[in-house]
Amino acid sequence: MKISFHLNAKEVSVDVAADRKLVRVLREDLALTGTKEGCGAGECGACTILVDGDPRLSCLMTVAQIQDRHVTTIEGLAANGEAHPVQEAFIEKGAIQCGFCTPAMVLASVALLDKNPDPTRGEIREGLSGNLCRCGGYVKIVDAVEAAAIAIRRGNPK
Amino acid sequence: MRDVFLPRSLEKLWTYLDESPGALVFAGGTDLLVKTFNGFPEGEALVCLDRIDELKEICQQGESIWIGACATHSGMVASRLVRNTLPALWKAVGEIGSPPVRNMGTIGGNICTASPAGDTLPPLYAMKAEVEILCREGARRLPIAQFIHGPGATGLQKAEIVSAVRIPKPQGLNLQHFEKVGLRSALACSVASLAALARLSPDRVVEEVSLAWGSVAPTVFTCPQAEETLVGRPLCAASLREAAEIVRHRVRPISDVRADAEYRRTVAGNLLLRLGTLS
Amino acid sequence: MKTTMIEVGYPAARFDARSKVSGEEKFAIDYSREAILWAGARRAAMAHAMVRGIDTSRARALPGVHAVLTREDVPGTNRQGIIHKDQPVLAGSRVRHCGEPLALVLAEDRDVLEKALGMIEVDLEPLEAVFDAAEALGADAVRVHESGNLLHKAVIKVGDAGGAFDRCDVVIEDSFEVPGQDHAFLEPQNGLAWQREDGRISMIVSTQAPFRDRFEIAHALGLDPGAIHIVSPCLGGGFGGKDGATVQCLLALGAMRAGGRPVKMVWGREESFNAGYKRHPVRMWYRVGAMRDGTLQCIHCKLIYDTGPYAHLGVEVMALGMEHACGPYRVPNTLVEGWCVHTNNPVSGAMRGFGVCQATFGIESMMDLLASKLGMSRLDIRLKNALRRGDKNGAGITLVNSTGILPCLETLGGHRLFQESEQWKKLAGPYKKRGVGIAATWNAIGYGRGLPDSAIARVELTREGKIRIYSSVSDMGQGNSSAFVQMAGQILTQDASHLEIIQPDTDLAHPSGSSSAGRTTYTFGNALIAACEEMKEKLLHRASLLLMLDEPAGLALLPGIIKHLPSGREIPFDLLGRLFPESDRMAVKQFVMPVARDTLESENEFKLGFPHLLFSYGAHLAYVEVDELTGKTEVKEYLCVTEGGRVINPACFDQQVHGAVVQGLGYGLMEEVLTRQGKILNPNFTNYIIPTSMDVPDITSLCVETEETTGPFGMKGIGEVGMNAPLPAIAGGVEDALGCRINRSPLTAARVLAALDARGVNR
Repeated sequence: MKISFHLNAKEVSVDVAADRKLVRVLREDLALTGTKEGCGAGECGACTILVDGDPRLSCLMTVAQIQDRHVTTIEGLAANGEAHPVQEAFIEKGAIQCGFCTPAMVLASVALLDKNPDPTRGEIREGLSGNLCRCGGYVKIVDAVEAAAIAIRRGNPK
Repeated sequence: MRDVFLPRSLEKLWTYLDESPGALVFAGGTDLLVKTFNGFPEGEALVCLDRIDELKEICQQGESIWIGACATHSGMVASRLVRNTLPALWKAVGEIGSPPVRNMGTIGGNICTASPAGDTLPPLYAMKAEVEILCREGARRLPIAQFIHGPGATGLQKAEIVSAVRIPKPQGLNLQHFEKVGLRSALACSVASLAALARLSPDRVVEEVSLAWGSVAPTVFTCPQAEETLVGRPLCAASLREAAEIVRHRVRPISDVRADAEYRRTVAGNLLLRLGTLS
Repeated sequence: MKTTMIEVGYPAARFDARSKVSGEEKFAIDYSREAILWAGARRAAMAHAMVRGIDTSRARALPGVHAVLTREDVPGTNRQGIIHKDQPVLAGSRVRHCGEPLALVLAEDRDVLEKALGMIEVDLEPLEAVFDAAEALGADAVRVHESGNLLHKAVIKVGDAGGAFDRCDVVIEDSFEVPGQDHAFLEPQNGLAWQREDGRISMIVSTQAPFRDRFEIAHALGLDPGAIHIVSPCLGGGFGGKDGATVQCLLALGAMRAGGRPVKMVWGREESFNAGYKRHPVRMWYRVGAMRDGTLQCIHCKLIYDTGPYAHLGVEVMALGMEHACGPYRVPNTLVEGWCVHTNNPVSGAMRGFGVCQATFGIESMMDLLASKLGMSRLDIRLKNALRRGDKNGAGITLVNSTGILPCLETLGGHRLFQESEQWKKLAGPYKKRGVGIAATWNAIGYGRGLPDSAIARVELTREGKIRIYSSVSDMGQGNSSAFVQMAGQILTQDASHLEIIQPDTDLAHPSGSSSAGRTTYTFGNALIAACEEMKEKLLHRASLLLMLDEPAGLALLPGIIKHLPSGREIPFDLLGRLFPESDRMAVKQFVMPVARDTLESENEFKLGFPHLLFSYGAHLAYVEVDELTGKTEVKEYLCVTEGGRVINPACFDQQVHGAVVQGLGYGLMEEVLTRQGKILNPNFTNYIIPTSMDVPDITSLCVETEETTGPFGMKGIGEVGMNAPLPAIAGGVEDALGCRINRSPLTAARVLAALDARGVNR
């Protein structure tokens, strides 16, 4: 089945079985391996992508469901090769360890800040609670999202 | 391989269901797709409801709040109407799974999954919600307690979908509470939960109360005896302890990998005691 | 790039941060090649059985199935194992745990693979099984192996524990129990392998021990270790669970039968639980004697480690646990008895804290009990007995190197969170009870005596003029490669843009030990320093030739160039790179960790892995709040003070400490591999729960620096030490809150509520 959608701001179409797991189509057919499959059951969040701007779990979606949707994976976040402020903050604040949860964590953070540009630490923790990190203590990730929020607000004065 | 249909209207939906009578209907997929990706059940087509806009609305209809089956948990969390008029449900949906799960999962899905641990169910029971069921021929409504028969079992017939849930607006209920006990603070399946709605007089005498528990029986557990014990008395530790004792005797919890029955039984009663601490 | 400063001691951004945050970093699971075959194992799902037959005919006949292999297809010994070679690659006659593999399928795609696995007909005859390590020691217990169930019994003895108890003012006794823990790394066990035309097998695999893997595979499959080539990209977590073969032998076997096609194997999450290694469940009994003033006199303890059906590193895990069983304290008389026992439970193996975090629960709980018994503060009793440099520890080792437990405890005691404990406890809301717990922790680094803890570093000046480090120790996320870049940059005065690091590749790098045991940065770092110093010497001498100087005096290495400071003349690195042959542009150095020199009474109890010379230390504090209605225990504040010598990168130091603490909080509060009849009941992230961002507080990590004179830039490994203290700190906090101690972990809501009910707490 031919499925057309917007992937990282480009129109793409794939010819695959409609019920394939989206994360596998992204990784195996489109070679976008920044999206990870950690549990296959929606429990770890490593497969998080943005669909029309909202974080969703690509391991709990059939590829057919993204017909006509706008999908952002980690590869599409750095527009024009320039890292997103959330990415910069993750680097600066030491929020990256093994890095396997990182792409999803970054996307979840971007979506969180889109909705809530000035979150408390508690709101950040809640916003990222669907993304497991096994290497760190979440502290530096929360620090990074706080720092990114400030950077984004400075960059987009109201 | 299965077909995946994405109807954009009810009309189209009925056509698909006519063509594939065995199709599996879903909205967010957070429950069903875990199973289908593991190959169970085999062969049937999938029909995804999430492009039918009329199933996503949240609005007030007279003295009821109408929530379309495809309203996502995030959508309900973001809804001022839900937050202001149905705070117990609002709290419950805010604690479901995790943010991405809430972006995908829907209230209709939570109802149709009919898990004893479904987080929206205790508030819906406590508020005497009705489930709206639709098929090509027309609509019918069932009180939620009649719609859900048991774990995973509902009164949904072939070629029917749940289109909405209709919740009577709580009138004058100045205590609206939901508490979920999970094994961790997010991404948790409830091992016991309580939705409580009550009208308290200025001196905290219970004039009316409605209670519903999740995860302590095959379906949501209600307990008129406990409610009776509380009505007419001030909401205090003593009366709550009495009611809690009744609850502990009447719940029918199971032991599973998450918690044993004894724990669920004790906590089902204990959760009532929290009501005494709410202002 | 904002920051390129990478000097040692500065919290530089990790070298791998940019590639990881952009999704470009490729983990083993992200590699693919043309025309891959998918490999999968059919597992026993029965804990103990005889194999009557395996009928693969239906699976073989399925279109898209390339091969179905069973025991008969395995050349060589069919036995894998790190030290003890006892674990079948494919079981042929007998099954000893549920995750035992019986057949390997190679298929064109994953769907066919799943289908084929289901079509293999396995005929198993169930045998009686044993699931309790204490029972397994009984004379008439079911035998997991013909040789019996006792893998190893050992005794560490110092002084006269028997006699000393009589001279004590107080003697206390208690028992403790901890369950298995899963590593729960997010990248499951996986790899990609292919056989080349010359017969060699190449493998890209998520592994902590690329160089050792060659030998494990070769032994199991009857191959020449030199014919195996391992590439180890960054790991998506390891924590010990990727130390020792997971997919390796199966993959190599598959590659040998794939006709040159690449074979990819990725364990699903459930398979990762069922077939992966676990932290050892342990039962402990402790008896501690002390004088009225709190001075420890003697400790006698018995530890039973359930190692499952195969050894993995069971004996070494137990050895390390026993070595630490008396805590970071001066105890003149000790008797530590350990049993490492086979059962039909899942296979236990290495995990961060390696036997120590179990024993730390025991000894730290005993210290709390002793404090209450004597009416002393929990901090004072620890301060009184804390090891100082020059003391002998409970295993009889003289601590001649950096020993920082005392300053850790003192720093904790001076911290606001310790000082304000009492006030905080009073502010508990309705149905909430608050308590504060502390724990001391230590963890050895290195393999210990009997197994040379070695690394060989190679650095090279490339033709392009960059300094390239060939790491031979995997980076599983702990940031060792970043530390290596910092070290090389420091010695060679280079910034990040002039440095490169190549992750382990056994064809390019030189053999080194595993990424484990808190030794990765220490051992390889020392080798790297030596290599960089040689490289520096060489570069200066070669540059002086080009500049026609009699000697290198006045020459300095600067980023990308060598400059003659008196004259200002420069030689760029790339010119050097082009002018000298490869053999001259590299430096290779080996380092072997020093070992303890004491002669011990318990010398010969372990062939290897005992005793240790170097330890890192820590002191932790937890603010704990218990809900009396649900039993739910939350950690509201957490303080940890860590001593690991000097700090190479403070940001990476905190990352390691935070991560260890959160794994420890998970171990303390919620993580438990539940089994029934040897079968894991919660083999998924739905029911095996690890902490989310909502379950842990902001952690305050403080560092006490000492100078470890044998360490690279004075450092010691601190990856493990933080893991051991959270459980006892939480248990101490819960006791402080409720007045009852829970000796079985994790402290789940159900256990805490049961303890409350047992005490008749009035609700």
